[in-house]
Amino acid sequence: MSRIRSISISFIHMLKFVKKDMMLLAAGVSPVMIGAAIRFGIPFIENLLVKYTGLPYVMEPYYGLIDILFAAITPVIFCFVAAMVILEEHDDHIDRYLFVTDLGRRGYYISRIIVPAVIAFVITAALLPIFGLSDQVVAVEVSLAIAGTLQGIIIALLVVTLSSNKLEGMALTKLSSLLMLGAVVPYIMPKPYSYILSFMPSFWTGMMINENNIVYMAACVAVSMVWIALLGIASKNK
Amino acid sequence: MIQVSNLSFSYTKKPFIQDMNFEVHEGEIFGFLGPSGAGKSTLQKILLGMLPGYTGSAIACGTECNRHDQDFYQSIGVDFEYSTMYEKLTARENLEFFSSLYRQRVRSIDELLSLVGLENDGDKKVTAYSKGMKSRLNFIKALVHDPKLLFLDEPTSGLDPTNSRMMKDVILEEKKKGKTILLTTHNMQDATELCDRVAFIVGGKIFALDSPHNLIMSRGAAKITYSWLDNDIEKTGSCQLDRASEDVTLKGLINENRLLSIHSSEPTLNDIFIDITGKTLV
Ligand SMILES: Nc1ncnc2c1ncn2[C@@H]1O[C@H](COP(=O)(O)OP(=O)(O)O)[C@@H](O)[C@H]1O
Ligand SMILES: [Mg+2]
Repeated sequence: MSRIRSISISFIHMLKFVKKDMMLLAAGVSPVMIGAAIRFGIPFIENLLVKYTGLPYVMEPYYGLIDILFAAITPVIFCFVAAMVILEEHDDHIDRYLFVTDLGRRGYYISRIIVPAVIAFVITAALLPIFGLSDQVVAVEVSLAIAGTLQGIIIALLVVTLSSNKLEGMALTKLSSLLMLGAVVPYIMPKPYSYILSFMPSFWTGMMINENNIVYMAACVAVSMVWIALLGIASKNK
Repeated sequence: MIQVSNLSFSYTKKPFIQDMNFEVHEGEIFGFLGPSGAGKSTLQKILLGMLPGYTGSAIACGTECNRHDQDFYQSIGVDFEYSTMYEKLTARENLEFFSSLYRQRVRSIDELLSLVGLENDGDKKVTAYSKGMKSRLNFIKALVHDPKLLFLDEPTSGLDPTNSRMMKDVILEEKKKGKTILLTTHNMQDATELCDRVAFIVGGKIFALDSPHNLIMSRGAAKITYSWLDNDIEKTGSCQLDRASEDVTLKGLINENRLLSIHSSEPTLNDIFIDITGKTLV
């Protein structure tokens, strides 16, 4: 129980810390902004495109894909903010110090990565039914939120493990955000060639929506867990 | 408080810390004295549970260091050799955050700041602090939760004499309260003044372990040197203090009142260190 106390203190401290550079506000507002832009912008554009081209639909077959990307964006933003804080704390040797306080190594990573990820999950799961374009059942919406959250954790760990300062961290976030694009693969690449990219967790969410089969979610979770385990080991040896 | 037996550790394949054995008793100040690169910080990190890949045994507060639980750190205070502060925040904000992580009663931040002469700098950002101010701030951070075991890595390095004095007084004050303190230093004066016992460490090995007094006494007692005038030419002689009566020249000079000067000198811990390890401290 004491753990929970020090973890929440450490998390709240992070919020106060990022409040100073407006990062918090940006991270808090952008999921709703992006969601609203998608929900109202895309069907509007689709209408125009259909009128202009005379086709029955243009973007509609990809509405599920857009929902996958929307489910990924909040965790990515939150975990990016967390990764920046971790890198800054690393520069000041704070992480090493916190490891030998009542918070500890595990408490530190929970407060910096797991807590933001869980909050991102809750926000995503709440916003998806409001802003989602494709009508999915609740189980699929929750699955998308879980997949997005795991991916956010992976990106945060990648950034934290592979970069040694904030500048490198920003560059690496852009690069590792390409992981999200795995979801596009099942839409554009035929089997079995598409399986080359099956090491990307989002490949499996793409499969899940494209083939309308929730069983693929198991593969997504499994692949994500392997990533997280490997990155966890790598960050410990850093 | 600390028991180390057959401890070995290395960062690489090459042996480093080899087969170390020592104990630190409750309430004492124990010093690791050795040149840079000797392994002093490494030893502290092992005892802090930060380097779990050792062989042998290292027990602190009754816990094997590589199998500690989180409660381990409640009674331990750490002052690393580098600054571990949020540079963007003020000293007070830093101390408030770190002390809020602990469950137990914490010490007053104002009192701690004034302990090391930072009472007027608490609301300055740490970036604006000088190196010596940062050292002092880092040191009091280790005290916020009133731990019973303190690890201080080179606490006095880079401090001017006044601040060094202030810091040493606080360390001695903590000892009076019954705290156990483990410090590393390559400053033999600090070691002599602060430590109940010191371990000489070079290349990952302990070469000697005893109280500074015993170490100094173990190698040659104090010496007497004296001088006199012989046909207007100054001459000097010397002998051991405890064998002064056997020195015929000295006796004669005393009888004839011809001594120009006489002093006794004890070897310093530095001399002893060079004697035992064959290395200098800096
Ligand atoms: N993380 C590390 N990885 C590899 N070698 C290290 C590491 N930390 C310290 N060393 C090496 O171990 C030796 C002892 O370092 P250290 O314990 O810091 O010495 P001291 O504190 O006595 O100056 C040095 O040669 C140093 O280069
Ligand atoms: Mg050192």
